[in-house]
Amino acid sequence: MSLIAQNLSVYFGDVRIFEPLSFSVSLGEIVTIMGPSGSGKTSLLSAVAGDLPHPLYSVGDIFLNERNLKNVAPENRRIGRLFQDDLLFPHLTVGENLLFGMTRGPKTERTAMMMTALGRLELAGFENRAPHTLSGGQRSRVALMRSLLAKPDAMLLDEPFSKLDKSLRATIRDYTFTHLRARNIPTLLVTHDPEDVPKDGRVIYV
Amino acid sequence: MSLNRRSMLKLSAALGASVYFTDFAQAADWGAIEAEAKGQEVFFNAWAGADNINAYIAWAGEQVKARYGVTLNHVKITDTAEVVKRVRDEVTAGKADGSVDLVWINGENFRAMKTDKLLFGPFAEALPNFTLVDTKGKPTTLQDFTESVDGLESPWGMAQFTFFGDGAKISTPPKSMIELAAFAKANPGRVTFPAPPDFHGTTFLKQALVETTTDRSIFAKPIEATAFAEIAKPWLAFLDEIRPSLWREGKQYPKSQSEMTQMVADGELLIGITFNPNEPANLVAAGTLPKTTIAWQHATGTIGNSHFVAIPINAKAKAGAQVVANFLLSAEAQARKNDLKIWGDPTVLDVTKLTGEDAKMFANLPAPGSVIFPGPAILEPNASFVALIESTWLSAYGKG
Amino acid sequence: MRGGSKHLAALPLVLLFGLPLIASLLYALISLFDREGWAALFGHPQIWPALFLSLFTGLSAAVLSLGLALIIVVGLYGSTRWPRLSRRVGSMLAVPHLAMALGIAFLIMPSGLIARAIATLVTGWQIPPQWISNHDPYGLSLIAVLVIKETPFLIWIFASILNREDVSRNLGGQRAAALSLGHGIGSIWMRIFLPQILPKMIWPLVIVFVYSASVVDVALVIGPTQPPTLSNVVWADINDADVFNTARGAAGAWFLTLAIAAVAVIIWVLTRTILTKRSWLAAGPVRRDLIRPFGAPSPREKGGVKIFPSPLEKVPEGRMRSLAKLKFLALTFIYIIVALILLLLSIAPMWPFPNLFPEALDFKAWWRVTDNPTALLTSLTLAVSTSGTALVLILAWMESQPARRDRTVLVLSALALGLPALLLSLGQYRVFLNLNLTGSAIGLFLAHIIPVTAYMFIVLCGPYRSFDSRWRASASGLMVGYWRYMRQIKLPLLKAPLFAACAIGFAVSFGQYVPAQLIAAGRYSTLPMEAVTMTSGTNRPLTAAFALLLMVPPLVAFLAAAFFGKSRWSA
Repeated sequence: MSLIAQNLSVYFGDVRIFEPLSFSVSLGEIVTIMGPSGSGKTSLLSAVAGDLPHPLYSVGDIFLNERNLKNVAPENRRIGRLFQDDLLFPHLTVGENLLFGMTRGPKTERTAMMMTALGRLELAGFENRAPHTLSGGQRSRVALMRSLLAKPDAMLLDEPFSKLDKSLRATIRDYTFTHLRARNIPTLLVTHDPEDVPKDGRVIYV
Repeated sequence: MSLNRRSMLKLSAALGASVYFTDFAQAADWGAIEAEAKGQEVFFNAWAGADNINAYIAWAGEQVKARYGVTLNHVKITDTAEVVKRVRDEVTAGKADGSVDLVWINGENFRAMKTDKLLFGPFAEALPNFTLVDTKGKPTTLQDFTESVDGLESPWGMAQFTFFGDGAKISTPPKSMIELAAFAKANPGRVTFPAPPDFHGTTFLKQALVETTTDRSIFAKPIEATAFAEIAKPWLAFLDEIRPSLWREGKQYPKSQSEMTQMVADGELLIGITFNPNEPANLVAAGTLPKTTIAWQHATGTIGNSHFVAIPINAKAKAGAQVVANFLLSAEAQARKNDLKIWGDPTVLDVTKLTGEDAKMFANLPAPGSVIFPGPAILEPNASFVALIESTWLSAYGKG
Repeated sequence: MRGGSKHLAALPLVLLFGLPLIASLLYALISLFDREGWAALFGHPQIWPALFLSLFTGLSAAVLSLGLALIIVVGLYGSTRWPRLSRRVGSMLAVPHLAMALGIAFLIMPSGLIARAIATLVTGWQIPPQWISNHDPYGLSLIAVLVIKETPFLIWIFASILNREDVSRNLGGQRAAALSLGHGIGSIWMRIFLPQILPKMIWPLVIVFVYSASVVDVALVIGPTQPPTLSNVVWADINDADVFNTARGAAGAWFLTLAIAAVAVIIWVLTRTILTKRSWLAAGPVRRDLIRPFGAPSPREKGGVKIFPSPLEKVPEGRMRSLAKLKFLALTFIYIIVALILLLLSIAPMWPFPNLFPEALDFKAWWRVTDNPTALLTSLTLAVSTSGTALVLILAWMESQPARRDRTVLVLSALALGLPALLLSLGQYRVFLNLNLTGSAIGLFLAHIIPVTAYMFIVLCGPYRSFDSRWRASASGLMVGYWRYMRQIKLPLLKAPLFAACAIGFAVSFGQYVPAQLIAAGRYSTLPMEAVTMTSGTNRPLTAAFALLLMVPPLVAFLAAAFFGKSRWSA
C-alpha cells in the first residue's frame, strides 16, 4: 500500500520537462523532491494530482494503493494538497473550511469532529472567525487540518512552509510531519530548503 | 352615449338603404366583407405620441368589437416610415401574412408604399361610408401631397399648417411670412422651426417657398433641379433675411415640433407651429399651454393636407381592416374625433350631407386656442419639391 | 466538466448568441457594399463636421469619465466610505441615459432651473435668456451628460474587480509591500494596481467610447443639431421611408462604425503600450520631500537625468482623498437633483418661466403610466428570463472553453454593442424574418438575449478568467468534485461580479426598445416601447414619469446585486 510512480514524466508539446522518474512512497513516509527552479517540481506534483494545466500532459503510470490513477479525476484520486498559500476559502468561516472536506454525514457528528480538530489546533472557539483574521501560523495549521480531515490516501506538499517566518517554520513543519506520519499517509514534499527534509528521509533530485 | 348609439343605428340603416339603391353589387360585397371580418384581429399601426389619440383609437376598438366582432390592436409607433420599411421587407421576404393590417399614413410614406406596390386596393371608395366624404370641398382627400390616392387609402382626418403663441405676449400675430420676418426682427431669438427633415420643419420651408413665389401654378407639376434653383432665389433671400433673427441666430434648430411646442410653453419661443389647427386648443385644455393662447393661419392660406388609413398588400386581416376603415369614416366616429374635448382632428366628411342630428355632433364651440379666422388651405407642392427643398436648405444652412 | 460533453456546453452560447449575431452581421454587411449608398453619403453636406462631432464627443466622454472614475477610485478605495460608495454607483447605473439627458437639459436650458433661479433671485428676467446651453454646437452638454452617466459605470467595473475577496486581500499585501519600498499611494496605483486592473478594464472602456460616439437618443435630446452628431444624421436617414435615404443611412452607419472602430483600436494599442512600458513600471519611488504638491513639475536630479514625477505622484494621499470625496459628492448631487427635477416635471403640466415651482400639480401622468401593467410585466419577465439565460450561457462557455477562445466572443460582443443598434437590428430583423420569427414571443426573447449576453460577457470575462486555479486544486485535494466546487467555492467567491453582471443584463434588457419595435412588430408592448412612443408627443409630465418608471426596476436590480454580492465579512 503506497504511492508509486513508474516512468513518470511531463511534456510541453514535444519538450520533456523532466526525465522519466520511478519511485515509491510507502505509508507514513515523506519523500522530498528537490531541484532548481523550473526543473518541473510543481509539474510533477500536478501530474500526480491529475490537474496539469493545458497544454502540459504526463506520460507514465501512477498507482495509489494499487489503483492506477490514469484517467481518474483529481477529486477522485484521494490525494490531498498543501500550497505555499494556505488557500483557506475566504468566504467561509474557519469551521466551514474544516467541514468543507469532511465526508457527508450527520451534522452533529461532523460538527463534533470539527470542534475536536480545532481544539487539537489550539484554536478552540475560532470556528466562526473569518480566515483573514487568523495569524499566518494559525492559518497554516488550519489548512493542514482541513486536508487531513478529508482523509486523503496521499499528500502533496508544494513548499508549504516557504512563506512562514523562521521561528514558526520549524514548529509547523514538525507539526505537519507528525500528523502525516501518525495517519500513515504517504507524502511527497517539494521544497528548496534542505532544512525541510525530514531526518533520514529520502530525497529525489529532478 | 346611449342616445348617440341609437341615432347611430338609425343612421347606418339609412346609409345601408342609400348604398342599396346606388350600387347593389357593392352592398352585397360589403356584407361578405363584414361577415369575413367577424372574429378577425386587426393590427393597426398608428403614431402613439398623444394620449388623446390613443384613447380615441381605444374607443374605436371597443366599438368595432361590439358592432362587428373585430378585435382592434393598436400597435404604437413613433414613425410611420418604420411601418413602410417593415412591410417592404416582409413583402420582399415573401411573408404573406404580414404583421400590419392597417396603417395611419400620408405624404411620402404613402407615395413610397404606392410606388413600391405595397398597398392593398383600391378599396377606399367602395367603403359604404366613403359617400359621406367631402371630396369636392376637401380635394386633399383624393390627392395626398399631389399623389393621386386612387382608392389605396381611406381618408381619416384633415390637417392645415397653423401657428400659435401666447396672446398675452403677441399683440398682432404675423399673418404672412413677411410679417413673420418682421416679427422675428422685433423679437430676435424667439422664432424658429424644427430642422428638416423633420416633417414640420420641411413644411415651414415649403410654406415660405409658396409665399415667396409669385406663380404658384409651378407647384402642381414635378420640377427639375435647375428650374428649382431659379425659383429658390427669392426663397433663399427670405431665409437669409430672417436667419439672423431666428433662435440661436439660425445656427441651431430644435429637433422636433414637440420640442418646439414645449419651448413655447416655457416661454423660450414666442411662436409654435402645428399641423392640427386644434392642437393649441387641445394643449390649453390639457393645461400645457396658457388660456391666453391664440392660433392663426396666414391670410393668403397655409399648406393643408389629409391623413389616411391604408391596408398593406400582405395584411392578414384585410376584411377586418376595411371594416375598421369604414367605421372610422362613420359620422359618429368622425364627430367624436372632431370633438375638441376628445381629439379635435377636423373631419373629412361633408357635414352638409349629414342629417340634422348628426351634423349637430360636429359643432365645436370656439375654445381658447382655437383658430378664429381660418386661412384657405393650399395644396402641397408636388412631391418632387421635398428632396430639393431639404437638400438646398441643408447645403446652405446645415453646417452650423 | 470534462470529456466529450465538455464542448457541448459551449453550444447554447453559440446557438443563441453567436450564430444569430453573425447572421445579422452578414445581413448588415450587404449594405456595406452598396456603392450608391456610399456615393450619396459622401455627397451629404454634413458628413465631415458630423463625424468630427461624434468622435469628439465620444472620445471626450470616454477620457473624462475614466479620469473622473480614477480620481474617485484611487482616492477612496480602501477608505471606510468605499463599500458604501461601490453600492451607491450601482443605483446610479439604473438611471437611463435618456432620463439623465432630460433632467440635465431641464437644468441647463434657457428656460431651465438654473436660469429660473438666476431670474428669480438675481436678474428678474421675465423671459428665458438666450443662452447657448443645451444643443450647444460643440456637443459640450452632450459630453457632460455622457460623463455623468459613464463615470459610475467605470467606477462600478473597478469596484467589481477590486471588491473580489481574493483580489482585495492580494492588493492589500502588495500595497503594504510597495509602501515599504517607499512608493506613495499614487505611485502604487499607477505602477502596481492599475497595470493589473486596467487590462481588465479595456473592454468596458471601449464600450463607453463606442456607446458615447454612437448614441442617438441622448444626442437627440441635448446634442448639437446643426450639424448634429453623425449618429443622428444616420438615424434620420435610416428611418426614412425613401429607399435612397435608407441606403445612405446604412452606408453612414457603416462609416460611423468603421471610424469608431479605428479610434477604438488606437485607444487599445495606446493603453496596452503605456501599461506595459516596463521601464516606467519599474521606476523607483519618488522622494516625498522633493515633491511640491499641485505645483509646477519639480524636476529632480538623479544621476544627471531630470525626472518628472507624474501628476498622481504629486498629490498627497489626504489631498487625493478629499478631491475624490468632493467629486463623488458632486456626482451624487447631480443624480439627486435630476431625480427631483424629473419627479417635479412629472406632476407639473404647466410650469411657465421664470417660476421656480410649477403653477399647479397633478398626477395625471402617473395615472397614465401605471394604468397598463402588461407592458411593465412583459418587460420584467423579459429582463429576468434573458439575464438568467445569458448567465447560464456564459457560465457554460467559461467552464467548457479555454480562455483564448474568449476573444472571439468578446469581439462579437463589442460588435453587438458597437454597431449602431439600428444597423444590427435591421440585419437581425432580416434573419428573423426569414426564420418566420418576427412578431413572435420567441423572436422577442432571442432579440433581447443578444445585447444582454454581450454586456454580461464583457463584464464577467475579466473577473471570471482571472479566478485563481489553485482553488480548484485545493478543492480536488479535499476530494471535492466539480459540481460541489462550483456550488460552494467558485460561484460564491465570484458572487459579486456574477450578481453585478446579472444586474447589468437586467438593466440592458429592460432598456431595449428597438427589438420590441422591429422584431416583435410592436405586438408585444414593453415599457420602453410605451415610453418612446408616448413621449414622441408634447407631454413633458408623461415623459418625465416614464423616465422615472424606467429607472425603478433596474435600480432595484442593482441594489439587490450590491446586497447579495456583499462579502459576508463586510459590515
